[in-house]
Amino acid sequence: MLNEERVVLMTKMASYEANEGRKNLDIGSYFRNDYIGWQVLKSIISATIAFVVVFAMYIFYDFEIFMTDIYKMDLLEFAKNVLFWYLATVGIYAVIAYAVYTVRYSRAKKSLRTYYMNLHRLAAMYKKSSPDSRQ
Amino acid sequence: MTTLLLIKQMLLTIYGKYEVYITPLLKFVLAFITLFLLNSRLGYMEALNRMTLVLIVALMCSFMPINFIVVMGALFSILHLYSFSMECAAVIGAGFLLLFLLYLRFSPKDTLVVVLLPICFLMRIPYVIPISMGLIGGPASAVSVACGVIVYYLLHYVTKNETVIASMAEEETAAKFKFIIDGLLKNKEMVVVIAAFAITVIIVYLLRRLSVDYAWTIAMIAGAVVNIMVLLVGDLIFDTNQSLLSIILGTIVSFLIVLVLQFFVFYVDYSRTEKVQFEDDEYYYYVKAVPKVTVTRPEKKVKQINSKRR
Repeated sequence: MLNEERVVLMTKMASYEANEGRKNLDIGSYFRNDYIGWQVLKSIISATIAFVVVFAMYIFYDFEIFMTDIYKMDLLEFAKNVLFWYLATVGIYAVIAYAVYTVRYSRAKKSLRTYYMNLHRLAAMYKKSSPDSRQ
Repeated sequence: MTTLLLIKQMLLTIYGKYEVYITPLLKFVLAFITLFLLNSRLGYMEALNRMTLVLIVALMCSFMPINFIVVMGALFSILHLYSFSMECAAVIGAGFLLLFLLYLRFSPKDTLVVVLLPICFLMRIPYVIPISMGLIGGPASAVSVACGVIVYYLLHYVTKNETVIASMAEEETAAKFKFIIDGLLKNKEMVVVIAAFAITVIIVYLLRRLSVDYAWTIAMIAGAVVNIMVLLVGDLIFDTNQSLLSIILGTIVSFLIVLVLQFFVFYVDYSRTEKVQFEDDEYYYYVKAVPKVTVTRPEKKVKQINSKRR
Protein backbone atom coordinates (compact mmCIF):
# COMPACT_ATOMS: atom_id res chain seq x y z
CA MET A 1 0.00 0.00 0.00
CA LEU A 2 1.14 3.54 -0.71
CA ASN A 3 2.24 5.28 2.46
CA GLU A 4 1.59 8.94 1.84
CA GLU A 5 3.73 10.25 4.67
CA ARG A 6 6.63 8.15 3.49
CA VAL A 7 6.31 9.33 -0.08
CA VAL A 8 6.25 12.96 1.02
CA LEU A 9 9.34 12.46 3.16
CA MET A 10 11.15 10.63 0.40
CA THR A 11 10.31 13.31 -2.15
CA LYS A 12 11.56 16.01 0.18
CA MET A 13 14.78 14.14 0.79
CA ALA A 14 15.33 13.41 -2.87
CA SER A 15 14.87 17.08 -3.69
CA TYR A 16 17.34 17.96 -0.93
CA GLU A 17 19.87 15.49 -2.27
CA ALA A 18 19.49 16.86 -5.78
CA ASN A 19 19.83 20.52 -4.91
CA GLU A 20 21.26 22.05 -1.78
CA GLY A 21 22.10 18.72 -0.21
CA ARG A 22 24.54 17.63 -2.88
CA LYS A 23 27.07 20.18 -1.77
CA ASN A 24 26.37 19.56 1.90
CA LEU A 25 26.80 15.81 1.49
CA ASP A 26 30.09 16.53 -0.18
CA ILE A 27 31.17 18.77 2.69
CA GLY A 28 29.88 16.26 5.23
CA SER A 29 32.16 13.56 3.89
CA TYR A 30 35.17 15.46 5.27
CA PHE A 31 36.26 15.82 8.84
CA ARG A 32 35.96 19.39 10.04
CA ASN A 33 39.67 20.19 10.09
CA ASP A 34 40.32 18.37 6.83
CA TYR A 35 37.63 20.33 5.05
CA ILE A 36 38.60 23.72 6.42
CA GLY A 37 42.31 23.01 6.00
CA TRP A 38 41.86 21.98 2.38
CA GLN A 39 39.74 25.01 1.57
CA VAL A 40 42.16 27.38 3.30
CA LEU A 41 45.03 25.79 1.39
CA LYS A 42 43.17 26.39 -1.87
CA SER A 43 42.54 29.97 -0.80
CA ILE A 44 46.23 30.46 -0.03
CA ILE A 45 47.10 29.19 -3.50
CA SER A 46 44.63 31.58 -5.13
CA ALA A 47 45.87 34.44 -2.98
CA THR A 48 49.43 33.63 -4.08
CA ILE A 49 48.43 33.68 -7.75
CA ALA A 50 46.54 36.93 -7.19
CA PHE A 51 49.58 38.43 -5.49
CA VAL A 52 51.83 37.40 -8.36
CA VAL A 53 49.41 39.01 -10.83
CA VAL A 54 49.29 42.27 -8.87
CA PHE A 55 53.05 42.26 -8.41
CA ALA A 56 53.59 41.72 -12.14
CA MET A 57 51.24 44.63 -12.89
CA TYR A 58 53.11 46.78 -10.41
CA ILE A 59 56.43 46.03 -12.07
CA PHE A 60 55.08 46.55 -15.58
CA TYR A 61 53.40 49.78 -14.59
CA ASP A 62 56.70 51.58 -14.28
CA PHE A 63 58.83 49.12 -16.13
CA GLU A 64 61.40 51.56 -17.47
CA ILE A 65 61.90 53.33 -14.17
CA PHE A 66 62.09 49.98 -12.44
CA MET A 67 64.74 48.73 -14.82
CA THR A 68 66.88 51.82 -14.34
CA ASP A 69 66.42 51.75 -10.59
CA ILE A 70 67.10 48.07 -10.13
CA TYR A 71 70.86 48.62 -10.13
CA LYS A 72 70.68 51.36 -7.58
CA MET A 73 68.22 49.99 -5.07
CA ASP A 74 68.77 47.80 -2.09
CA LEU A 75 67.51 44.49 -3.41
CA LEU A 76 67.40 42.84 -0.03
CA GLU A 77 65.22 45.60 1.34
CA PHE A 78 62.97 45.39 -1.71
CA ALA A 79 62.63 41.62 -1.32
CA LYS A 80 61.81 42.05 2.36
CA ASN A 81 59.16 44.56 1.48
CA VAL A 82 57.62 42.29 -1.13
CA LEU A 83 57.68 39.37 1.27
CA PHE A 84 55.96 41.44 3.93
CA TRP A 85 53.16 42.41 1.56
CA TYR A 86 52.86 38.86 0.33
CA LEU A 87 52.51 37.47 3.84
CA ALA A 88 50.08 40.20 4.81
CA THR A 89 47.87 39.53 1.76
CA VAL A 90 47.90 35.78 2.15
CA GLY A 91 47.47 35.98 5.92
CA ILE A 92 44.43 38.25 5.79
CA TYR A 93 42.89 36.27 2.98
CA ALA A 94 43.47 32.97 4.77
CA VAL A 95 41.81 34.31 7.92
CA ILE A 96 38.77 35.40 5.90
CA ALA A 97 38.67 32.03 4.13
CA TYR A 98 38.93 30.23 7.47
CA ALA A 99 35.98 32.18 8.86
CA VAL A 100 33.85 31.65 5.74
CA TYR A 101 34.51 27.92 5.54
CA THR A 102 34.05 27.35 9.26
CA VAL A 103 30.59 28.86 9.01
CA ARG A 104 29.86 26.88 5.85
CA TYR A 105 30.95 23.62 7.44
CA SER A 106 28.84 24.05 10.54
CA ARG A 107 25.84 25.06 8.43
CA ALA A 108 26.23 22.03 6.20
CA LYS A 109 26.56 19.74 9.20
CA LYS A 110 23.45 21.20 10.77
CA SER A 111 21.41 20.73 7.63
CA LEU A 112 22.80 17.21 7.19
CA ARG A 113 21.72 16.37 10.73
CA THR A 114 18.13 17.10 9.74
CA TYR A 115 18.63 14.99 6.65
CA TYR A 116 19.96 12.03 8.62
CA MET A 117 17.15 12.40 11.13
CA ASN A 118 14.69 12.12 8.28
CA LEU A 119 16.58 9.09 7.02
CA HIS A 120 16.09 7.45 10.41
CA ARG A 121 12.44 8.34 10.37
CA LEU A 122 12.10 6.79 6.97
CA ALA A 123 13.87 3.65 8.11
CA ALA A 124 11.56 3.49 11.11
CA MET A 125 8.55 3.82 8.82
CA TYR A 126 9.79 0.98 6.68
CA LYS A 127 10.38 -1.17 9.74
CA LYS A 128 6.92 -0.49 10.99
CA SER A 129 5.30 -1.27 7.69
CA SER A 130 7.45 -4.25 6.72
CA PRO A 131 5.43 -6.96 8.57
CA ASP A 132 2.33 -5.70 6.77
CA SER A 133 3.95 -5.76 3.40
CA ARG A 134 5.12 -9.31 3.84
CA GLN A 135 1.70 -10.53 4.60
CA MET B 1 -5.24 43.12 -8.57
CA THR B 2 -6.98 39.77 -8.65
CA THR B 3 -6.22 39.45 -12.34
CA LEU B 4 -2.56 40.19 -11.67
CA LEU B 5 -2.50 37.61 -8.91
CA LEU B 6 -4.13 35.11 -11.23
CA ILE B 7 -1.52 35.84 -13.87
CA LYS B 8 1.22 35.38 -11.27
CA GLN B 9 -0.29 32.09 -10.18
CA MET B 10 -0.54 31.00 -13.78
CA LEU B 11 3.06 31.95 -14.53
CA LEU B 12 4.25 30.07 -11.48
CA THR B 13 2.28 27.01 -12.51
CA ILE B 14 3.63 27.18 -16.04
CA TYR B 15 7.16 27.58 -14.72
CA GLY B 16 6.72 24.67 -12.36
CA LYS B 17 5.33 22.51 -15.10
CA TYR B 18 7.88 23.30 -17.80
CA GLU B 19 10.87 24.17 -15.61
CA VAL B 20 13.02 21.69 -17.50
CA TYR B 21 12.62 23.72 -20.68
CA ILE B 22 12.24 27.24 -19.29
CA THR B 23 15.47 27.34 -17.25
CA PRO B 24 17.73 26.44 -20.21
CA LEU B 25 15.76 28.86 -22.38
CA LEU B 26 16.35 31.69 -19.90
CA LYS B 27 20.02 30.79 -19.68
CA PHE B 28 20.20 30.81 -23.47
CA VAL B 29 18.58 34.24 -23.68
CA LEU B 30 20.88 35.66 -21.00
CA ALA B 31 23.98 34.21 -22.64
CA PHE B 32 22.87 35.48 -26.03
CA ILE B 33 22.22 39.00 -24.74
CA THR B 34 25.56 39.04 -22.90
CA LEU B 35 27.60 37.89 -25.88
CA PHE B 36 25.66 40.03 -28.32
CA LEU B 37 26.23 43.17 -26.24
CA LEU B 38 29.92 42.31 -25.83
CA ASN B 39 30.24 41.90 -29.58
CA SER B 40 28.42 45.11 -30.35
CA ARG B 41 30.38 47.15 -27.78
CA LEU B 42 33.84 45.63 -28.16
CA GLY B 43 33.66 43.61 -31.37
CA TYR B 44 37.35 43.93 -32.32
CA MET B 45 37.83 40.29 -33.20
CA GLU B 46 36.02 39.54 -36.43
CA ALA B 47 35.89 35.80 -35.85
CA LEU B 48 33.84 36.21 -32.67
CA ASN B 49 31.32 38.55 -34.27
CA ARG B 50 29.69 35.85 -36.31
CA MET B 51 26.12 35.25 -35.29
CA THR B 52 26.45 31.50 -35.70
CA LEU B 53 29.26 31.41 -33.15
CA VAL B 54 27.27 33.50 -30.69
CA LEU B 55 24.30 31.19 -31.10
CA ILE B 56 26.38 28.06 -30.64
CA VAL B 57 28.07 29.39 -27.50
CA ALA B 58 24.72 30.58 -26.11
CA LEU B 59 23.29 27.14 -26.78
CA MET B 60 26.21 25.61 -24.91
CA CYS B 61 25.57 27.95 -22.00
CA SER B 62 21.93 26.87 -21.89
CA PHE B 63 22.74 23.42 -20.61
CA MET B 64 25.88 24.22 -18.63
CA PRO B 65 25.83 25.60 -15.07
CA ILE B 66 24.91 29.25 -14.99
CA ASN B 67 28.45 30.34 -14.07
CA PHE B 68 29.55 29.17 -17.49
CA ILE B 69 27.97 32.34 -18.91
CA VAL B 70 30.33 34.39 -16.73
CA VAL B 71 33.33 32.42 -17.95
CA MET B 72 32.28 32.75 -21.59
CA GLY B 73 31.63 36.48 -21.19
CA ALA B 74 35.08 36.97 -19.69
CA LEU B 75 36.68 34.89 -22.45
CA PHE B 76 34.89 36.82 -25.20
CA SER B 77 35.88 40.19 -23.79
CA ILE B 78 39.51 39.18 -23.33
CA LEU B 79 39.73 37.82 -26.87
CA HIS B 80 38.16 40.97 -28.30
CA LEU B 81 40.55 43.14 -26.33
CA TYR B 82 43.47 40.98 -27.37
CA SER B 83 42.90 41.76 -31.02
CA PHE B 84 42.49 45.45 -30.15
CA SER B 85 45.56 45.81 -27.97
CA MET B 86 47.54 43.24 -26.10
CA GLU B 87 48.07 45.53 -23.13
CA CYS B 88 44.34 46.04 -22.67
CA ALA B 89 43.77 42.31 -22.72
CA ALA B 90 46.54 41.81 -20.16
CA VAL B 91 45.20 44.43 -17.76
CA ILE B 92 41.54 43.45 -18.06
CA GLY B 93 42.45 39.76 -17.94
CA ALA B 94 44.42 40.37 -14.75
CA GLY B 95 41.42 42.27 -13.33
CA PHE B 96 39.07 39.37 -14.11
CA LEU B 97 41.54 36.88 -12.70
CA LEU B 98 41.78 38.82 -9.45
CA LEU B 99 38.00 39.02 -9.12
CA PHE B 100 37.71 35.32 -9.74
CA LEU B 101 40.53 34.27 -7.43
CA LEU B 102 39.72 36.55 -4.55
CA TYR B 103 35.98 36.78 -4.46
CA LEU B 104 33.91 34.76 -6.89
CA ARG B 105 35.41 31.56 -5.51
CA PHE B 106 33.46 32.21 -2.33
CA SER B 107 30.05 33.02 -3.64
CA PRO B 108 28.97 30.93 -6.58
CA LYS B 109 25.36 31.99 -5.93
CA ASP B 110 25.89 35.65 -6.65
CA THR B 111 28.12 35.26 -9.67
CA LEU B 112 25.30 36.11 -12.01
CA VAL B 113 25.30 39.69 -10.72
CA VAL B 114 28.65 40.20 -12.43
CA VAL B 115 26.94 39.58 -15.78
CA LEU B 116 23.61 41.23 -15.04
CA LEU B 117 25.03 44.47 -13.70
CA PRO B 118 26.97 45.48 -16.84
CA ILE B 119 23.89 44.63 -18.93
CA CYS B 120 21.73 46.81 -16.69
CA PHE B 121 24.34 49.57 -16.95
CA LEU B 122 23.99 49.52 -20.71
CA MET B 123 20.22 49.73 -20.33
CA ARG B 124 20.76 52.69 -17.95
CA ILE B 125 19.03 50.99 -15.06
CA PRO B 126 21.94 49.63 -12.99
CA TYR B 127 20.10 50.61 -9.80
CA VAL B 128 17.84 47.57 -10.15
CA ILE B 129 20.63 45.28 -9.09
CA PRO B 130 21.70 46.74 -5.71
CA ILE B 131 18.09 47.16 -4.58
CA SER B 132 17.03 43.68 -5.62
CA MET B 133 20.18 42.09 -4.23
CA GLY B 134 19.43 43.78 -0.92
CA LEU B 135 15.96 42.27 -1.07
CA ILE B 136 16.79 38.72 -2.07
CA GLY B 137 20.46 38.45 -1.09
CA GLY B 138 22.49 39.12 2.02
CA PRO B 139 24.98 41.76 3.08
CA ALA B 140 27.75 39.85 1.28
CA SER B 141 25.97 40.60 -1.98
CA ALA B 142 27.43 44.11 -1.65
CA VAL B 143 30.79 42.65 -2.67
CA SER B 144 29.29 40.85 -5.68
CA VAL B 145 27.62 44.07 -6.76
CA ALA B 146 30.96 45.87 -6.38
CA CYS B 147 32.58 43.20 -8.59
CA GLY B 148 29.90 43.78 -11.23
CA VAL B 149 30.54 47.53 -11.15
CA ILE B 150 34.28 46.94 -11.54
CA VAL B 151 33.72 44.66 -14.55
CA TYR B 152 31.51 47.25 -16.21
CA TYR B 153 33.93 50.10 -15.65
CA LEU B 154 36.92 48.01 -16.80
CA LEU B 155 35.25 47.40 -20.15
CA HIS B 156 33.66 50.84 -20.32
CA TYR B 157 37.02 52.55 -19.85
CA VAL B 158 38.49 50.72 -22.83
CA THR B 159 35.58 51.52 -25.15
CA LYS B 160 35.58 55.15 -24.02
CA ASN B 161 39.28 55.65 -24.63
CA GLU B 162 39.41 53.51 -27.73
CA THR B 163 40.83 56.23 -29.96
CA VAL B 164 43.49 57.32 -27.47
CA ILE B 165 44.73 53.78 -26.94
CA ALA B 166 44.64 53.04 -30.66
CA SER B 167 46.60 56.20 -31.47
CA MET B 168 49.48 55.19 -29.20
CA ALA B 169 52.27 53.65 -31.20
CA GLU B 170 52.87 49.92 -31.14
CA GLU B 171 56.20 50.19 -29.36
CA GLU B 172 54.82 52.26 -26.52
CA THR B 173 53.84 49.20 -24.56
CA ALA B 174 54.88 50.58 -21.20
CA ALA B 175 53.08 53.88 -21.79
CA LYS B 176 49.90 52.10 -22.87
CA PHE B 177 50.07 49.90 -19.84
CA LYS B 178 50.44 52.87 -17.58
CA PHE B 179 47.64 54.76 -19.29
CA ILE B 180 45.19 51.87 -18.88
CA ILE B 181 46.06 51.09 -15.27
CA ASP B 182 45.99 54.78 -14.35
CA GLY B 183 42.60 55.16 -15.92
CA LEU B 184 41.23 52.21 -14.01
CA LEU B 185 42.68 52.95 -10.62
CA LYS B 186 41.94 56.65 -10.70
CA ASN B 187 38.39 56.22 -11.90
CA LYS B 188 36.55 58.21 -9.25
CA GLU B 189 33.17 57.58 -10.83
CA MET B 190 33.68 53.86 -10.33
CA VAL B 191 34.56 54.36 -6.67
CA VAL B 192 31.50 56.52 -6.09
CA VAL B 193 29.21 54.02 -7.80
CA ILE B 194 30.71 51.11 -5.83
CA ALA B 195 30.20 52.99 -2.58
CA ALA B 196 26.63 53.96 -3.49
CA PHE B 197 25.65 50.45 -4.52
CA ALA B 198 27.29 48.78 -1.53
CA ILE B 199 25.56 51.14 0.89
CA THR B 200 22.26 50.59 -0.94
CA VAL B 201 22.54 46.81 -0.71
CA ILE B 202 23.28 46.92 3.00
CA ILE B 203 20.55 49.44 3.85
CA VAL B 204 17.92 47.58 1.82
CA TYR B 205 18.95 44.33 3.48
CA LEU B 206 18.82 45.76 6.99
CA LEU B 207 15.45 47.44 6.48
CA ARG B 208 13.67 44.58 4.77
CA ARG B 209 14.50 42.28 7.68
CA LEU B 210 12.77 44.58 10.15
CA SER B 211 9.61 43.21 11.67
CA VAL B 212 7.51 46.26 10.76
CA ASP B 213 4.65 46.33 8.30
CA TYR B 214 5.62 47.07 4.69
CA ALA B 215 9.29 46.44 5.50
CA TRP B 216 10.06 45.51 1.90
CA THR B 217 8.48 48.63 0.45
CA ILE B 218 10.19 50.82 3.04
CA ALA B 219 13.49 49.12 2.24
CA MET B 220 13.05 49.68 -1.48
CA ILE B 221 12.19 53.35 -1.14
CA ALA B 222 14.99 53.96 1.34
CA GLY B 223 17.42 52.10 -0.92
CA ALA B 224 16.45 54.18 -3.95
CA VAL B 225 16.74 57.46 -2.01
CA VAL B 226 20.07 56.53 -0.41
CA ASN B 227 21.39 55.48 -3.79
CA ILE B 228 20.55 58.84 -5.35
CA MET B 229 21.92 60.72 -2.34
CA VAL B 230 25.26 58.92 -2.28
CA LEU B 231 25.69 59.30 -6.03
CA LEU B 232 24.96 63.03 -5.81
CA VAL B 233 27.21 63.59 -2.81
CA GLY B 234 29.95 61.65 -4.60
CA ASP B 235 29.38 63.82 -7.63
CA LEU B 236 29.78 66.96 -5.52
CA ILE B 237 32.94 65.79 -3.78
CA PHE B 238 34.74 64.08 -6.65
CA ASP B 239 33.25 65.92 -9.61
CA THR B 240 32.29 62.77 -11.43
CA ASN B 241 29.94 64.62 -13.80
CA GLN B 242 27.07 62.21 -13.62
CA SER B 243 23.85 63.40 -15.10
CA LEU B 244 21.30 64.08 -12.38
CA LEU B 245 18.39 63.41 -14.68
CA SER B 246 19.64 59.99 -15.74
CA ILE B 247 20.29 59.03 -12.12
CA ILE B 248 16.80 59.98 -11.02
CA LEU B 249 15.02 58.57 -14.06
CA GLY B 250 17.08 55.38 -13.89
CA THR B 251 16.27 54.99 -10.22
CA ILE B 252 12.54 55.48 -10.81
CA VAL B 253 12.48 52.89 -13.59
CA SER B 254 14.57 50.54 -11.47
CA PHE B 255 12.18 51.02 -8.58
CA LEU B 256 9.25 50.02 -10.78
CA ILE B 257 11.10 46.89 -11.91
CA VAL B 258 11.88 45.98 -8.31
CA LEU B 259 8.18 46.44 -7.49
CA VAL B 260 7.45 43.66 -9.98
CA LEU B 261 10.09 41.53 -8.30
CA GLN B 262 8.50 42.20 -4.93
CA PHE B 263 5.11 41.19 -6.30
CA PHE B 264 6.54 37.82 -7.25
CA VAL B 265 8.75 37.15 -4.25
CA PHE B 266 7.14 38.87 -1.30
CA TYR B 267 3.51 39.80 -1.67
CA VAL B 268 1.75 39.67 1.68
CA ASP B 269 -1.41 40.98 3.24
CA TYR B 270 -0.48 43.07 6.27
CA SER B 271 -4.12 43.65 7.19
CA ARG B 272 -4.42 39.99 8.19
CA THR B 273 -1.27 39.94 10.32
CA GLU B 274 -1.55 37.68 13.32
CA LYS B 275 0.45 38.04 16.48
CA VAL B 276 0.63 34.98 18.65
CA GLN B 277 2.49 34.03 21.78
CA PHE B 278 3.21 30.61 23.09
CA GLU B 279 5.80 28.74 25.04
CA ASP B 280 7.47 25.39 25.23
CA ASP B 281 9.87 23.95 27.79
CA GLU B 282 12.78 26.08 26.67
CA TYR B 283 11.47 29.23 25.01
CA TYR B 284 8.82 31.88 24.84
CA TYR B 285 7.76 32.60 21.28
CA TYR B 286 6.50 35.98 20.11
CA VAL B 287 5.41 35.19 16.60
CA LYS B 288 4.21 37.59 13.96
CA ALA B 289 2.70 35.78 11.03
CA VAL B 290 1.91 37.69 7.87
CA PRO B 291 -0.16 35.73 5.37
CA LYS B 292 0.83 35.66 1.73
CA VAL B 293 -1.76 36.86 -0.72
CA THR B 294 -2.90 34.03 -2.89
CA VAL B 295 -5.91 33.43 -5.01
CA THR B 296 -7.32 30.15 -6.05
CA ARG B 297 -7.80 29.78 -9.72
CA PRO B 298 -11.48 29.64 -10.61
CA GLU B 299 -12.15 26.15 -11.73
CA LYS B 300 -13.74 25.73 -15.06
CA LYS B 301 -16.92 23.79 -14.83
CA VAL B 302 -17.93 21.85 -17.84
CA LYS B 303 -21.60 21.31 -17.93
CA GLN B 304 -22.75 18.53 -20.12
CA ILE B 305 -25.81 19.64 -21.98
CA ASN B 306 -26.49 16.79 -24.28
CA SER B 307 -27.30 13.72 -22.34
CA LYS B 308 -25.23 10.69 -23.06
CA ARG B 309 -26.81 8.20 -25.34
CA ARG B 310 -27.08 4.80 -23.97
